[in-house]
Amino acid sequence: MSDHTAIPKKPGETLFGFLFLGLSLFLFWQSYEIAGFDALSSPGALPLAASGLMVISCVIALIDDFKRPAEAGQIKAFFEHILPLSVALMIGIIFLFAVLLEDVGFIITAFVFLVGTIQLLHRKGIGKSLLIAAVSLVFVYLIFRIVFVVVLPEGIIPEREIMAVIEAWFE
Amino acid sequence: MLEALSYFATSWLNPELLALTALGTFLGIYVGAIPGLSVTMAVSILISFTFSWEVNNALCLMVGIYMGGVYGGSRTAILLNIPGAPSAIATALDGYPMAQKGEAGRAIGLSTVMSVIGGFVGIIVLSVAAPTVSEFAIKFQPRDYLMLGLIGILLVGSLSGESLSKGIFAGALGVLIGTVGLDPLTAEERFTFGVVELWNGINPVAVMIGMFGIAEALNQLHHLDKTAIKQKVDKIVPSWKDIKKYLPLSLQSSSIGVVVGSLPGTGGDIAALMAYDQAKRSTKNPEVPFGKGAKEGLIAPEAANNAAVGGAYIPMLTLGIPGDAVTAVFIGALFIHGLNPGPMLLTEQPDMFWFTVGNLTLANIFVLIFGLTGIKLFAKIVEMPKGILIPLIFLLSIVGAYAINNSIADIWWMLGFGVLGYFMKQYGYQVGPVILGVILSRLIDENWRRAIMSEREDMGSLFINLFASPLSIVLFVAICLIFISQTPIWTKWLKPKLSRG
Amino acid sequence: MKKFLASTLAVLSLASTTAMAADYPSKDIQGVIQWGAGGSTDTVMRSVSPLAEKVLGEDIVLTNKTGGVGAIATKYVYSRKADGYTLLMGAENPQMYKVLGLSPIDYSDMIPISILARGTPIFVANNDAPYNNMAELIEYAKANPGKVKSGSTGKGGMTSIVMAMLQSQVKLDFTMIPYDGDGPALTALQGGAVDIMPAVLGAAIEHIRAGRMKVIGLVDVAANDLLPGVTPITDTLPGMKSYLPWGPFFGVFVKKGTPEAAVAKLSEAFHTGAESEDFKALMKKRGFTVMGTSGKEAVDFLESYRSVSSWLVYDAGFAKHSPEKFGIKRPE
Repeated sequence: MSDHTAIPKKPGETLFGFLFLGLSLFLFWQSYEIAGFDALSSPGALPLAASGLMVISCVIALIDDFKRPAEAGQIKAFFEHILPLSVALMIGIIFLFAVLLEDVGFIITAFVFLVGTIQLLHRKGIGKSLLIAAVSLVFVYLIFRIVFVVVLPEGIIPEREIMAVIEAWFE
Repeated sequence: MLEALSYFATSWLNPELLALTALGTFLGIYVGAIPGLSVTMAVSILISFTFSWEVNNALCLMVGIYMGGVYGGSRTAILLNIPGAPSAIATALDGYPMAQKGEAGRAIGLSTVMSVIGGFVGIIVLSVAAPTVSEFAIKFQPRDYLMLGLIGILLVGSLSGESLSKGIFAGALGVLIGTVGLDPLTAEERFTFGVVELWNGINPVAVMIGMFGIAEALNQLHHLDKTAIKQKVDKIVPSWKDIKKYLPLSLQSSSIGVVVGSLPGTGGDIAALMAYDQAKRSTKNPEVPFGKGAKEGLIAPEAANNAAVGGAYIPMLTLGIPGDAVTAVFIGALFIHGLNPGPMLLTEQPDMFWFTVGNLTLANIFVLIFGLTGIKLFAKIVEMPKGILIPLIFLLSIVGAYAINNSIADIWWMLGFGVLGYFMKQYGYQVGPVILGVILSRLIDENWRRAIMSEREDMGSLFINLFASPLSIVLFVAICLIFISQTPIWTKWLKPKLSRG
Repeated sequence: MKKFLASTLAVLSLASTTAMAADYPSKDIQGVIQWGAGGSTDTVMRSVSPLAEKVLGEDIVLTNKTGGVGAIATKYVYSRKADGYTLLMGAENPQMYKVLGLSPIDYSDMIPISILARGTPIFVANNDAPYNNMAELIEYAKANPGKVKSGSTGKGGMTSIVMAMLQSQVKLDFTMIPYDGDGPALTALQGGAVDIMPAVLGAAIEHIRAGRMKVIGLVDVAANDLLPGVTPITDTLPGMKSYLPWGPFFGVFVKKGTPEAAVAKLSEAFHTGAESEDFKALMKKRGFTVMGTSGKEAVDFLESYRSVSSWLVYDAGFAKHSPEKFGIKRPE
């Protein structure tokens, strides 16, 4: 572990450590709220032990971190190395996906997501993106919805009605 | 004997049963490989699907899916760093680094062969020692399960990477994540903040897909402009020399797999992690360090989780007690098909036992065949341009998380833990211990409480009872040894002295 | 693409509203199972659904939505449209939600399609235990307070209610060891981690037949064909009569407000399933009593279960709210 202390701190590492310490203390308090310290067999026993261990290990990790040299230009470096635009953008897009999924439905959100992100990351013409998105979506839909009967959120497309109509053709 | 042989061969000689086993195994590999789709889920869907079938036909399909599914989890673990199932978590630790070095094909080939060896060990133990093993397994007391869980959690030491304190933090966080929801024993709310959706807790698979899949995909965005690594696709089938070299390790791992698999309450996921830990401790000089693409780190969990399949069948066939979630569904299926799954099954339906053994053997052979074909094609997935691969990984992760329980909430957890995992990786926290904690949390929590309740809250008598049975003594000694060998006292002071002496 | 979608949407929305009441069902039905794959509820529902599908002419797509002792699935079905296309397939647990403070929704907010079957509770014990019937157990437990370890499956679960029934007759000091389900608890019983346990007959029957555990009590008013020679608990504790017969059950439900035509069609379908020889044989072997009731009879059954259990739990002191708060009457 001696080599570890020589590695320079990454931008934001100390702040992240403190955030974790805050989280640990909060969780320790929440664990105490479950059943206090009243019984060894209470539902709060393991949570208290685990969160207690989190607090202790977090403090040790922070002390370790203080021994390590810091890098200069914290904020600028943070957005260069830790959270570059591509990562931040992607996180935002997936969150948007999850928000819209239930109401708009799987087929539309997934298609728009795939076309959009492939365009963004691959940059090779809209036609190719559309094709890749469509083909992969058909695969996903076939495997999950048809073979393994996972009912993906339908949203605004009435899939069950459409399938009933298609089935009626075959009967 | 001759009778047993004829039951054993039932599924081998009947073309229909043969085809169904093959189909099941093939489907199983994909069920296993796709995160979110689980063997438990697939088998329960098949129950209603095969309702009107002959029982043997239904069983062939299901056994195939089980065997294939446990193996299939390694595929996505190696190729995309997303374990297809919790039993493939340990596989990702060294399998993915191998793929990163262009050795995806070799990793898949090796994991296939080792899975099959593990599978056979499980089947052999099932067929020669089932009653003995099940009587042993059923004797495990809450305190023994507790100690088993603690042995598992000590694995944090080997998963921590550069900082032990950060590793312990991550492991404890995982344990805490595992306790979220209604307490399964008292229905007390833990960390639910009044939200009903949290009652069910946070699904370990959602945490796993997030911390492994999403976090790694986000990480890959840093290297978008780097061209994908060319995969070496020659020499996919491991050489005879290699197999012979690693055979002792795979047998050791398989034994862990069978025993842990046969315990009601623990399955392939815990078996694989324990085998990984054991391999790391017993391998003196790996060619490549563990966590960076060590073959040993790939072999141990793969042999163990497939051996656990045979293990899980042991209490199911002899006592009617499921060894894991999948065998629980199998019991339901047997019941629906008019059999009486229970301790009398073997007396009333003696054909059932050897039919299942034969069927498992057959499925295991199909794993070898399907596992070794098409590897070149699979390895190419890693060569896809990252701009296309990364969006697809995200989509697969989202659908997978949703599929676990048909719930949007699981997608949120997956994303949340994905982002958290991404930052943790950036700052030197490993995500492995988190998943380990999540998986072992329930085992430790429940059995700690049962153990201490049995002693009426008396720590002293719990400690005394650690020496009450040979099993408890062995487990207790194992914990002490592992603990001492991992603490700084040993590595810094005792060990150098001993080796000098 | 857009135009096609728009027109399809228009046609379909028109078609589905007019078609809804008249020829139900016109599309797949989603069946939401409260418990996990492989459990008793799951097995019962997966064996009855294919039979009901035949009558309905559409598929029933089954999904397991586990958690919160079934409250999550109940809440989910309750949040869907009351159109008969989402079914709740559950066990007895929701009847305790209100007094235990688990959820404001129970089966009184749903329409029973069919109560399929009912189970009989029994007391089982480890083979080495020094008692063979309820009288001996009571005597032993009185002489050795705290020594008898009993498996339990959480507050409000079947075991806790049966224990509350017993405690209401005679105060005994057991050490309760909680398990998450009767399967794991019965396994622990065989391994000696617990000594006795109230269980559903169906879950224990195979182990009893094989002689791996013994029955020491039948929580019912009459003897049972599957357990020859075991006398009903009311012979030892006549006071239990006021609670019995009582037992966990399985049923299919829809949200209140579902069109009557759909309820009638579904009831017909599930009754046909419950009445079939296959299903009956399955249930009998597992020690379940096939019921196949709906309408007023089913509502009365549910109400009686709720009132007996709620007051037992309340009197035993582990209810969060008084049953009176929800207008649940004390059983006569």
